[in-house]
Amino acid sequence: MVKAIDIPFGPQHPALEEPINFTFEVEEERVVDVKIRLGYIHRGIEKLAENRTYHQNVYLVERICGICSFAHTTCYTQAVEELLGVDIPERAKYIRTIFCEMERIQNHYLWLGFTAKAMGFETLFMYTWRDREAMLEVLEMISGKRVNYGMNTIGGVRRDITGKMVERMEERLNYLEERANYYKKVCTKERSILKRTVGVGMLEPSDALNLCAVGPTLRASGIPQDVRADEPYAAYGEIPFRVVTYDGCDVASRILVRIDEIIESVKMIRRALDGMPQGPIRVKVPKNVPKGEAVSLVEAPRGEDLHYLRSDGSDRPARLKVRAPTLANLPSLRKMLKGVNIADIPIVIAGIDPCLACMERVILVDTKSKKGQAWSGEELWRYANEWYRES
Amino acid sequence: MAALNLNRIRRRLKGRVQEVFVQRERRIFIRVAEEDLRETVKTLIRLDGFNHLATITGVDIGPAIELIYHIIYKDAVVSLKVQVPKESPVLPTITDLIPGAVFYEREIQDLLGVKFEGNSSSSLFILPDGWPDGVHPLRKEWTLGRISKKVRRLW
Amino acid sequence: MVILMAMEDELLESLKKKPVTLRFPYERARPEDRMQAKVTWEIEKCIGCNLCVKVCPSNAIKLIGRGRKAEIRYHVGRCLFCGECVDVCPTKAIQTTKEFELAFTKPEEMILEFRR
Repeated sequence: MVKAIDIPFGPQHPALEEPINFTFEVEEERVVDVKIRLGYIHRGIEKLAENRTYHQNVYLVERICGICSFAHTTCYTQAVEELLGVDIPERAKYIRTIFCEMERIQNHYLWLGFTAKAMGFETLFMYTWRDREAMLEVLEMISGKRVNYGMNTIGGVRRDITGKMVERMEERLNYLEERANYYKKVCTKERSILKRTVGVGMLEPSDALNLCAVGPTLRASGIPQDVRADEPYAAYGEIPFRVVTYDGCDVASRILVRIDEIIESVKMIRRALDGMPQGPIRVKVPKNVPKGEAVSLVEAPRGEDLHYLRSDGSDRPARLKVRAPTLANLPSLRKMLKGVNIADIPIVIAGIDPCLACMERVILVDTKSKKGQAWSGEELWRYANEWYRES
Repeated sequence: MAALNLNRIRRRLKGRVQEVFVQRERRIFIRVAEEDLRETVKTLIRLDGFNHLATITGVDIGPAIELIYHIIYKDAVVSLKVQVPKESPVLPTITDLIPGAVFYEREIQDLLGVKFEGNSSSSLFILPDGWPDGVHPLRKEWTLGRISKKVRRLW
Repeated sequence: MVILMAMEDELLESLKKKPVTLRFPYERARPEDRMQAKVTWEIEKCIGCNLCVKVCPSNAIKLIGRGRKAEIRYHVGRCLFCGECVDVCPTKAIQTTKEFELAFTKPEEMILEFRR
């Protein structure tokens, strides 16, 4: 009988893009148990949102995550619009849909590169990130920004898509679709990818449901659940699409689900561009929001995103709750990690597309206290001494 | 669709609900008493079309803390509300019914100070190490200024 | 069918191509037309209505004085470049520029003042 030992993993670790702390209990090479500690990038957004106006919060919510920023603002503005009782123009709905899908494409390309890097396939990482630029350029052309687009506002969107832009978009979409098909071929045939991903990080469908998994992680376990199909928001009700599922339950299926979603998203953007009606893109809204509460759901690139908003009739929210998809996938991640080899830990973690900045939001950022947060060398030394004396 | 679900919920929950209302299509809010929470959750997860628990929201409403369990169905979102008094905020855990709720409960324990019997741990989950006891940042009495005054000495 | 190197042809083809990255300080990408960076004030047009201060999501703008005598203090370090102030200004006194290389050596330099 081998005695189990604890191996700390993170908060700073080369395989992690963002800080999180795992403690793995390991027997020989196998992980038996996992403990998770969060809070390393907690920024106090939920508390901060209560101290700002609804309009200012659009920009705060956008900065929950740099990659799925549009999903968060869509979710937040939907909740505010529901409380206000305004119906946004049709064209704005289509533009929101197009942006959501473009964001999904760029996120999945980014994720594919990140996963390739986690399994040591740096070539694929470089190539996918080069191709992601094509999508970022389109996003920059329409919104003026590469990541935090500043497109959504309460009552519609801020910028329109012109005819000239559509031409350039179509050209880029053709390129991205062709590349996605190529990567699908690579990921199903390349021996090194198959060896690292097939049968690794298993999540059975029953476990996925019990542990409340969402998004591509759930769909890779063969369960066709997608907010876009179940509860069509924006213009999703008018655009036909296929909910991609694979039933391999492993990392390989998660890769294929995401690549297929890229291809599906390209088709959806084409359909949306064809069917986009003319008209205004935003309506004027009052500053104060009537008393009430709203639950808003959006399918972010990583899965279901939920915002709960409660208003007390003033110009500031009484409570804004944000549940980003990564927090929902953490219990499943813990399940997946049990039983894997130590060497497979990075690829399994990468498999759920973790976005820790999204997941952790609360506590405080106060500009006045920032000064006190920086440690001088002497303070650090004193702290370390005290800490050792105590323990 | 929502109406069907609502009647079914009313019938199954019998006398336990204090209030049920449909806010709009696909949005149902239910209020139950603290002691009925587990039984209600048990009934709700057996209904057809149950998908998952999206999250637990905690709201400070003055004398009490309101917890809202957002449960996602195929054709509706049911928000189950429960209130606990602020002085002794203790609730039974639902992690044995829905294992995915484990981190949501831990998050609420840190930020609002609600203890969950069966899922409480003395270690912090989201707040930094050395965070003072009794400072629950999402409670309304802890304004930004008060928290920063209390916490400044930490760093 | 499992093969050893699925990206072989792609890699061979890339040998003939130049790097796709730009050599930044010497080569620059052309900014997009809608790009927004630092904003400037035409202070003569400003009527001191305070709208830009209220709309700013990061409290980067401060108005000193009142009405037509007001002066603007603009904190570039806080600015998100969202362009809300440009949209809201009733006299079009605020314009956006394409100046995005905003590195400063001292914190004071990040605060720009527009005086009359």
